Amino acid sequence: MAQSATFKTDLLGAIPALRAFAMSLAQNADKADDLVQETLMKAWDKQSSFQPGTNLKAWLFTILRNVFYSQMRKRGREVQDSDGVMTARLAMHPDQEGSLDLKDFQAALEMLPPDQREAIILIGASGFSYEEAADICDCAVGTMKSRVSRARDRLTKILGIVGEADFGPDAINTQVLGSSQP
Amino acid sequence: MAKDEALKRHKTDRARRDPLGANTAIARKLKEYYGGLVTDEVPDRFSDLLSRLEAAESPNKKTS
Repeated sequence: MAQSATFKTDLLGAIPALRAFAMSLAQNADKADDLVQETLMKAWDKQSSFQPGTNLKAWLFTILRNVFYSQMRKRGREVQDSDGVMTARLAMHPDQEGSLDLKDFQAALEMLPPDQREAIILIGASGFSYEEAADICDCAVGTMKSRVSRARDRLTKILGIVGEADFGPDAINTQVLGSSQP
Repeated sequence: MAKDEALKRHKTDRARRDPLGANTAIARKLKEYYGGLVTDEVPDRFSDLLSRLEAAESPNKKTS
């Protein structure tokens, strides 16, 4: 039983990351927590198929992602009119140079097709390598890279970022290097 | 100097390999967004669930 106690502790430790990924996919807190619950139950059942020493987080993310997509399929694809939404809300705040509100960012993220959203989240936020992310999403590394690239381009467009220069390299450098200045 | 050159080359290589880039506005916003989600308080239902699963697995043993 010692082994399953360790497994349980490891699962507990992974819950915050799982919830964050679930929220990124489902964009809804209740759905996200249901996803996490289902994932934990499946993970518990499949415990013996997990190889200790390998990346538990990646293994769990793979399960959660599969649960998410099979639910989507069952629900008969609740509209995926991201292009229509995109057109309507393109460049929401063209006048807000240099300031990017977190709510606007989240709204923009919601407009991405799920495959692009998960790609940019896995790479840009969850800390996975392209190889790991490709494994999780069961696609080629090149596919993962192009999804991230398209996601970035779309976000840039939606948010009306004309180029990194808009955010002022000075401002960025000051933020990042500020502490190292004498 | 050589070190700077190496670092510069490393950064260029990285940028070529990595379509997102580590320090773009979008990359930083992503981390901020996700950081907020990760630090969100975890409801008890999940630890309760795991305890139930653990207990169900060893019906004759007391789990601590």
